[in-house]
Amino acid sequence: MGKIFLVVPDAPVEEVAHLKSNRSLGGGGIRLGILDNSKANADYLLNMIVDGVKQEFKVDSVVVKRKPTSSRPATDQVLDELAKEADLVISAMAD
Amino acid sequence: MSASLDTMLKAPGAMVECDDDPEAVYEFLCSKGWSDGLPVIPPTPERVERMLAYCDRDFDKPVVKIPPRFGAATPIRVAANAVMAGCKPEYFPLVLLALEAMAEEQYNLYGTQATTHPCTPMLIFNGPIAKEVGLNSGHNVMGNYFRANAAIGRAVRLCLVNIGAAIPGTGDMATAGTPCKFTFCVAENEEASPWEPLHVELGFPKEATVCTVVAAEGPHNVNDHESITPEGILAMVAGTIPTTGSNNAYYEGQPVMAFGPEHAQTVASGGMTKKQVKQWLFDHATIPLSKWSQEGIARRFRRKLADQFANAPLDTPVHMWQKPDDLIIIVTGGAGKHSQWVPTFGNTRAAWRALKRADGELVKSIHELKRG
Repeated sequence: MGKIFLVVPDAPVEEVAHLKSNRSLGGGGIRLGILDNSKANADYLLNMIVDGVKQEFKVDSVVVKRKPTSSRPATDQVLDELAKEADLVISAMAD
Repeated sequence: MSASLDTMLKAPGAMVECDDDPEAVYEFLCSKGWSDGLPVIPPTPERVERMLAYCDRDFDKPVVKIPPRFGAATPIRVAANAVMAGCKPEYFPLVLLALEAMAEEQYNLYGTQATTHPCTPMLIFNGPIAKEVGLNSGHNVMGNYFRANAAIGRAVRLCLVNIGAAIPGTGDMATAGTPCKFTFCVAENEEASPWEPLHVELGFPKEATVCTVVAAEGPHNVNDHESITPEGILAMVAGTIPTTGSNNAYYEGQPVMAFGPEHAQTVASGGMTKKQVKQWLFDHATIPLSKWSQEGIARRFRRKLADQFANAPLDTPVHMWQKPDDLIIIVTGGAGKHSQWVPTFGNTRAAWRALKRADGELVKSIHELKRG
């Protein structure tokens, strides 16, 4: 059977530079951040996760931010506040 | 083949070799995931070059990037998908136009691609080029048979899958999806409408060709063979729209009321404008709060929509979209006493784009875009 060439209809994944945070937790407790995606059950799930984290680790504070809607990105302001007020952030999709 | 296109296609990864047999091509493309599940026309370099005959852009410069992969939709890649879909070269500028419209921020392409909701871009074309390329606006306008409607909508969907990676279960998380994901492309029946066409309502001149995109569910029929007054038809429409499971009850989406021409003539017979029809339907297409589940009332209305419903009585009417003018009204289809209600995804707004030449002038005929 003969061969033909086809133009590839897909597109490659864009190269994205990933940055790794160098923040150290030091000897103190965790400043925990929560990004609630605003789905109906997100806060129930995230509260359970927070309770679980508290049982395993020393948590100094919990800051909760909420996206206005699940299918749009968090605002720059919310991301800046989380970066400032939390050592790590948990974000989860929960329907 | 032009030297520049030939050079572009020799770039690493631009082409792939396959057995020269229709079934082998179909099997190969399906195996790579480059498919909507139906047979396609093989996107050979020669066919892609012919598809680009009506493209006045640089062939390798992205027109848009399509999430969730954010793949670069270059004319070459879009043309490959348009070939696969069965497009004529004259359709190609309308495929690009639709992609550009849905890349507008308010449409929320990322959300509409990745959601569990069964939405897909409904393409609504207005203006002279819709007719010139043969887009159907008459009988069976939302159905099968017409090549332009079938192939333009299909090409857009293939781009969303192949370039944007809207792959079921990974990039497209739709729980069930909709058969409209194969294609959902209509033209407004401007000649049969008693009102100004959609693109004129949006502020474009009548001679503009405009694509409006709506993140739509499948259409739901409104059958009314009995009513002969504006209020009669509208009462039937307002009775069909309200459903508790609709995103439009809570979110900012812009649903579409696609009146059949006969219903539209009856509604307009007493002089009602589009704006008045929108207000009438907004006021009458409601559901009392009590019709939602106890959980829905507690979690959605009392808590998330507390500013409106925190202490609202259970007989409070819930409107089926957020503001009267958010409703999009078009007239489309052939003879018969039927109209179509088209609900939408939640976090989205309609978006539109007029077809223009590279110099910014409106395109009056598709042949203005022919190269050479």
